[in-house]
Amino acid sequence: MTTSAAPTLRQSVALVWRTLRSMRTALILLLILAAAAVIGSLLPQIPNSPERVGQYLDDHEFWGTMFFRAGFFDVYGSWWFVLITALLFVSLGACLFPRTRAMIRAVRQRPIHARELDGFRHHAEFRVDSGPDEVAVIAARYLRRKRFRVSHEGLGVAAEKGVLREVGSLLFHWAFFLLLLGVIVGKGTGFTGRAVVTEGETFVDALPNYAGQIRTGRYFGGDFTGAGLQLLDFDDSYRPNGQPIDFVSRVRFLDREGRPTGTEVIRVNHPADVEGLRVFQEGFGWSPVVEVSLAGQRLWSTAIEMARDDAPEGVPATAMPWRGAIKLTAPQPDVMITLELWPDFRAFANFQLTGEPTSMLGQFDPYIRYSVYTGEIVDPALSTIDTTGLRRIGGSDLHAAGTSTFDVPGAGELRLSFLELRQYSVFLISRDVGIPVVLAAAILVLVGLIPSLYVSRRKVWIRAEAAPGGALVKIGGFALQRKDAFEEEFDRIVRGIGGREAVEAQPEERVRTS
Amino acid sequence: MNWARISSTFFDVTIWLYLGAMVLSFAYLAARRDRLWVLARVVTIAGAAANLVSIVARGMAADRVPWGNMFEYSTVLAFLVVVGTLVIVEGVAKIKTLTGFSLMFSVLTLAVAAMFFPVEPSPLQPALNSYWIKIHVVAAITGSSLFAIGGIATILFLLKDRSERRALAVGRERVPAPIMGGAVEVDAPHDLLPDPEGAGGAPEPRRGGVLPSAAALDRVAYRVIAFAFPIWTFAVIAGAIWAQEAWGRYWGWDPKETWSFVTWTIFAGYLHARSTAGWKGRRAAIIAVIGFISLLITYYAVNLWIVGLHSYARG
Repeated sequence: MTTSAAPTLRQSVALVWRTLRSMRTALILLLILAAAAVIGSLLPQIPNSPERVGQYLDDHEFWGTMFFRAGFFDVYGSWWFVLITALLFVSLGACLFPRTRAMIRAVRQRPIHARELDGFRHHAEFRVDSGPDEVAVIAARYLRRKRFRVSHEGLGVAAEKGVLREVGSLLFHWAFFLLLLGVIVGKGTGFTGRAVVTEGETFVDALPNYAGQIRTGRYFGGDFTGAGLQLLDFDDSYRPNGQPIDFVSRVRFLDREGRPTGTEVIRVNHPADVEGLRVFQEGFGWSPVVEVSLAGQRLWSTAIEMARDDAPEGVPATAMPWRGAIKLTAPQPDVMITLELWPDFRAFANFQLTGEPTSMLGQFDPYIRYSVYTGEIVDPALSTIDTTGLRRIGGSDLHAAGTSTFDVPGAGELRLSFLELRQYSVFLISRDVGIPVVLAAAILVLVGLIPSLYVSRRKVWIRAEAAPGGALVKIGGFALQRKDAFEEEFDRIVRGIGGREAVEAQPEERVRTS
Repeated sequence: MNWARISSTFFDVTIWLYLGAMVLSFAYLAARRDRLWVLARVVTIAGAAANLVSIVARGMAADRVPWGNMFEYSTVLAFLVVVGTLVIVEGVAKIKTLTGFSLMFSVLTLAVAAMFFPVEPSPLQPALNSYWIKIHVVAAITGSSLFAIGGIATILFLLKDRSERRALAVGRERVPAPIMGGAVEVDAPHDLLPDPEGAGGAPEPRRGGVLPSAAALDRVAYRVIAFAFPIWTFAVIAGAIWAQEAWGRYWGWDPKETWSFVTWTIFAGYLHARSTAGWKGRRAAIIAVIGFISLLITYYAVNLWIVGLHSYARG
């Protein structure tokens, strides 16, 4: 038989398993998870703010690169975060199984009888006139009435109370386990995407329509519903001081074949459900409908979803103009028109005259300034306004319902008509099958938590002995928690079964048994 | 009637009364005159009353619940910490000497609110306009105020515990060592250590001698934290439900969510440590202090320096 210094595979596995099985490991893993989350809250995260991550990488070359490699800019999607979660999951489960078995055994088992009663932290002795059998019966009945679990054998009574503490604790931990499961399954198989829909238009739940604004779970199967969402109208309302009151979208849902299935009102804090998807009001903006023709040929006639400029410090966001682009790749060379929209012309005029920003809370004589570029368009996506490789050949402006013409050298007359100004609504669309599980688990976490913190376990033993003219009653007990409160309860029990008062335990006994 | 004006006047009155009550409470600690204690109590209660008037008037001025932004949240937190200390620490646990420290916490909370996030009463932004603001925020403030009281008690426990140990060490040098097994182990649970206030013969420690016994502080800290923990758990869950309704996801690792989870985890660690042999006393107390710091980060840093969905500091 050879003994090697290095542990065998079997021993290593056993060691890992033993470590995982301890509650302390689970707790340490939870704390590591919290520490990881702290990193995620201190550093910008790619899913939330990619531009701030880029900024960080530019500003901190060395640490930025290190952090990037370690996955610190996408903590919650990094492999090690998933690993910690998985280990926590396994560890929690591993230590809960044996605890649950032990708990079930303890609940089934009748309270165990004790032989020596004067060794307990609380004990008392007193004489009664009635016989020992009678006293034991009275004591058992009294303790049962006080909802102790009682085992009565002959002249001895063993009773205990507060198993609910362990039951509650296990319920809490199992519920936490379930919550973790619900989160992993729900987030793993679901997705969250952003849909931008202009009034009158319809969005269909399919991958390309999210235009990259989607995050899918690791195990998402790619099965989009194909359900449609038509924005009937959008309404934003403000107080006189410019503070928003509410954002309301009225939508019509359509099934896969495009048949309407009903209308809903979606507002902030009031999402709507359709075919397993939840639709939330997230944002809004302006969509001017502009018709563009070049040399008499109509090339463009749809709404353009504009993005608002970032407001400098001290300027209300609602005072900023909106920007968008029309990219025409059909003509030779490519033509790009950048648009700057002022929904309220008065704000533009005031800004030109005084330089003071004015909030634009609704449309009033909407006004567009545009520039025309020619050259070769590098990025045909409509969400970006990138003019590299293009040459500005001029620009002009437009009021609503107005038309303006512009001569593009070598391509003919460019004609722009500003037909109308609509609004668009931004919806967050998510699918998460884990939600009911997570909610139920969260409620169970609370249900279990309360007894696990506030119920105390205590045990009481009573033994009656025949004595001249009656019986000698010995009673002992202790509490595992809330020892002060048990002192009074113990006295009440003594009085309840016929004794006058408990004999205080000696101080040194306290030290020994507590 | 100009409610906004009433609210801000009473806000100032509250700070001054709390400050006065704090000075009186500390004077009582130093001088131990019962009359000082009574006076300190009267001023504390007057301060709490002024604080309440300020909160209610704020609600009337804004025509909504008076906890819609950080300024208002701070006002309510200061109130709950003072009232919580009066009811739980003084009323239930019968410890008179903690109130001055709670008042100090409240004065700082109010001063920080007045300095860093003063805002005029105004209606809520749409995302906050939900009945969940009543449920989630009330639970969060209540949990925070209790954690704060627990944190204060724990810090005092650590100070007192150190001075008691020193006193004990000094005492042990004088008294001949017991014959069997040494006197008291350093790692013994605190309720086994002699109580210098209770046992007449114990030497009065020089530093921290004005505080209640370490065992009493430890007990009240544990009770308050054990009371706060389910409330905090509920606040986090209610917040998640609200986030699901308002933002479309129940959990998104927003800085406030992250830090409230971190705080929850640390206090969960504390509760586990309390029931683990060898972790009772100082080690558990240090975890609770870390939890208290995490709570302050959840409360202040997230709103002031970290941009996220909960950045309501500016209204």
